[in-house]
Amino acid sequence: MIQLQNIEKYYANKGVKSYILRHVSTTIQQGEFVSIMGPSGAGKSTLLNILGMLEEPTYGTYEFMGENVVSLNERKRIELYRNHIGFVFQAYHLIDEMTVAENIEAPLLYKKVGSAERKSRVAEMLDRFNMVAKRDLFPNQLSGGQQQLVGIARALAAQPLIILADEPTGNLQSAQALQIMELFRKLNEEENITIIQVTHSEINAGYGNRILHLLDGVISEDLQVVV
Amino acid sequence: MFKLNFKIALRNLWKYKTYTFINIAGLAIGMASCILIFIFIRYELSFDDQFVKKDRIYRVVSNWTEISGTDASQGVPVPLAKAMRNDFPQLEKVAAIQSAHGIISTTKHAGRPMIKEAIGVFYAEPDFFGIFNYTWLAGNPDQVLNEPNTVVLCEEKATQYFGDWRKAVGQTLRFQHETELRVTGVFKDQGENNSLNLPMVISYANYPGRKEDSWSHVASSSECYVLLKDGLHIDELQGVLAAFNTKYHAKNTLTIREYNTFQPLKEIHYDSRYGNFAGKTMERKQIYGLSVIGIFLLLTACINFINLATAQAVNRSKEVGIRKVMGSGRKQLVLQFLGETLTISTAALLIACVLTEMALPYMQNLFSENISFSMLEHPVIFVFLVGLVFLVSALAGFYPALIMSGFSPALAIKNKVSSAAGGGMGLRRILVVFQFTITVVLIICTLMILKQMNYIRQKPLGFNPNAVALVNIPADSLNRLKQHNFKDRLLTIPGVKEVSFCDTPPSSGMVAENRFSVNGIPVKDFQVRVMHGDRSYFETFGLKMIAGQILPKSDTANAWVVNQTFLKKMNIASPELALGKLLKVGDQNFRIVGVMKDFNDKSLHEEISPLAISSGQVEYYNVAVKMDQAKMVESMKAVEHLWNSTFPDEVYDAMFVNDDLNHYYQTEIVMETLFKNFSMIIIFISFIGLFGLISFVASQRTREVAIRKVLGATNLELVRLLNGSFLLMVFLANLLAWPIAYLFINRWLAGYAYRINVSIWPFAIAMVVSMGITLITVSFRSFKAAKTNPIDALKYE
Repeated sequence: MIQLQNIEKYYANKGVKSYILRHVSTTIQQGEFVSIMGPSGAGKSTLLNILGMLEEPTYGTYEFMGENVVSLNERKRIELYRNHIGFVFQAYHLIDEMTVAENIEAPLLYKKVGSAERKSRVAEMLDRFNMVAKRDLFPNQLSGGQQQLVGIARALAAQPLIILADEPTGNLQSAQALQIMELFRKLNEEENITIIQVTHSEINAGYGNRILHLLDGVISEDLQVVV
Repeated sequence: MFKLNFKIALRNLWKYKTYTFINIAGLAIGMASCILIFIFIRYELSFDDQFVKKDRIYRVVSNWTEISGTDASQGVPVPLAKAMRNDFPQLEKVAAIQSAHGIISTTKHAGRPMIKEAIGVFYAEPDFFGIFNYTWLAGNPDQVLNEPNTVVLCEEKATQYFGDWRKAVGQTLRFQHETELRVTGVFKDQGENNSLNLPMVISYANYPGRKEDSWSHVASSSECYVLLKDGLHIDELQGVLAAFNTKYHAKNTLTIREYNTFQPLKEIHYDSRYGNFAGKTMERKQIYGLSVIGIFLLLTACINFINLATAQAVNRSKEVGIRKVMGSGRKQLVLQFLGETLTISTAALLIACVLTEMALPYMQNLFSENISFSMLEHPVIFVFLVGLVFLVSALAGFYPALIMSGFSPALAIKNKVSSAAGGGMGLRRILVVFQFTITVVLIICTLMILKQMNYIRQKPLGFNPNAVALVNIPADSLNRLKQHNFKDRLLTIPGVKEVSFCDTPPSSGMVAENRFSVNGIPVKDFQVRVMHGDRSYFETFGLKMIAGQILPKSDTANAWVVNQTFLKKMNIASPELALGKLLKVGDQNFRIVGVMKDFNDKSLHEEISPLAISSGQVEYYNVAVKMDQAKMVESMKAVEHLWNSTFPDEVYDAMFVNDDLNHYYQTEIVMETLFKNFSMIIIFISFIGLFGLISFVASQRTREVAIRKVLGATNLELVRLLNGSFLLMVFLANLLAWPIAYLFINRWLAGYAYRINVSIWPFAIAMVVSMGITLITVSFRSFKAAKTNPIDALKYE
């Protein structure tokens, strides 16, 4: 599904190149649950941003579903966002001015889903995450864990093939974090959704089936998790 | 999607209440000013637009070129209409129309009181109503004025005289106590947007002066309208017109030339050189000036919006980022933000409409015009309002929308969008400087206009117009006999100090200039202005003599008193030398017996004319009554009473000379008021914008301020830090504004023969005021920011 070939990323500052990523090559199959780990500054988030097409690599090729997406034009990239990719953020990033239900509905609007179907999908999501009672609350009226659930519900509403999560439990207490990880595993196993997460936590990484260790911009280890 | 975005927009507006208030208030006031200016301009441009054949209607006007300059009149010689009819086969219709005054009385009807009033009437040739299509309630426009002793009335007059216009046709009115006029038609009242305001039109056959055949006499009361044949262009008539002018203006020399031209109907309202019967003109220049002010006001309000929106953009960056990764295209974001702007400007428009309604009475009062804000009557106003909302949304919203939608999602999500990305402080600085340049220009101009107007009000005119009333007196042969007795009895009224027969007050716009000769030698370089008044004229108006004596007492021994300018123009070195010279103007050939000090005989726009006063042997239509200021009210009542008992058949009319003088400066008074109000509005808009911007900067730099404070900066140092760039911007705006204001004010002052010198003071005051208000506005907010406890700002990091 995802094929990275020799991805490099550096910033040139006064002629000195400071590398973030070097020679990153890997392949991620449909249905994998990959955790990207490594110390601060190793380039985890940059890699995830490249995977999510939020940043462009300086060199290298990136194929998403068989298509080269390096310097993809905006319209095509938006098409991918609408149909295949869901994002989950450490700071949840819900739109503060929208209620829970509206936040979940928003991506469906961009996907131009009909009104009736939108309603039923939002209802389904709320039902699934036990938040029917909270549908009209605003994000700041929810706890962090609940906000992240809404964030995930929003990512799932558009029925993506892949979820990209940047430290999804970074701001959460451990009990809530476990809940989120369980949810990811379930989504991965039952719905075959590909999940790529950046995490610091060995425990969280343990929920996935593959771990990429990054060190100074280079993949130092590529482990299969054996349960 | 739209509904959701709309909801979000409202929630956002609510969240940032201060910014919303500043935006809406600024836009609403700016828009209200624009709407007021628009409906005024719409009204002004609607003049004489109601006539079907308006593109083919022309007025014949008179022009003069002389050594001293050019002159123009709306009038034509009386025989011109007939000559035009003969010489111009290209004209379909020609009609002379004569303006006059007279006393109209109704005959007694059963149960209705007799009405007697002095009003302006018009004599028109039958073709007049073939040129102008009035709406006729009764009567056939092709026949109404064909016979002598016929009259047509407007609906209002017909109703006033006969109770109901339906009863008017066939009834009679008495004109000047002697002529019975039969009403043959009633036409619908014309709107006020009309250069020909005709309440009542009498058959031209009744006009006493219709047989006049002199081409040298032109009165502004004799107009002539022509209708060009369909399919012809007015330029095709130039050849015939040139021949016409040569044929009839035989006295023309190389230097002094009189000629007639065609003026299109649609130009009449906009050309104040000629004037018109309705007495309303509006120079196109002024209309353009007003539009420019309107545009500036709107721009200032839009700049506020752009500044605040881009400054605030950072707050919205996260939302932009999230929307982008959810699959929103840039176009959708732009549309969303434009939609928000549209919401704000619609709200502002609604408030603006309310403000307009509130300001409308003042505006109508200022322009003495019945300007309408009715969208039903004038759908174009509605179109304008819709256009205004979209224009403002586009002007104010497009740039911020472009900036915000352009945020990179990766940075936006991480909250790494700096305020610099919001269009940069640079652009906002340029906009603020631009905004304040406009503001400062307006402040300077307002100060200068106020100063010049003050100068005009206080400048000694050389005569004393205070407490002098000008009262009309009938001058027909019968009443003339009563005039002297009337004057003597006026002098017995307590509070009346002096009484003088005259034709005009010392300063008036009714100018009669004439060619003349001195000691039998004609003077060709200039003309002399002639006034008539009796011996008391000098005492009544406080005119000062510098040589010789005032006019002799007797009516039969006539003489001239001339002014200093006359001597200067004649190159007579000393006043004494002028005494005894024989001055002949027209058929008045008398000796000069006195020289008076110069006084301003026209508005201060113009230089003093060479002037000669004689008692003449003319019919006096006015008597000037000088009163004791303290007893004016009682004296005036007594004068009116005496008048009515002396001339029982006539209609009393009086005015104060001071009021008349104020009419000179009607345009200036309007301009003064407009500038005062608009500069106040623009100051308000600019400074609330400034307040919004400093609020934003203060909140953006909260962390910096906190860190500096922890490092030991004092409150004052912090305030100075935050204020510095704003003061610099306003200072820069002042520098830019000075030359612009200087150019404008110099051109404006050039229109006055008597004017103030341009001094540094208005510029300095504008600078002090603008910098002062800036300092207060900005310090108010920055002091608050500097005072905050640094812990509050730093603990979230």
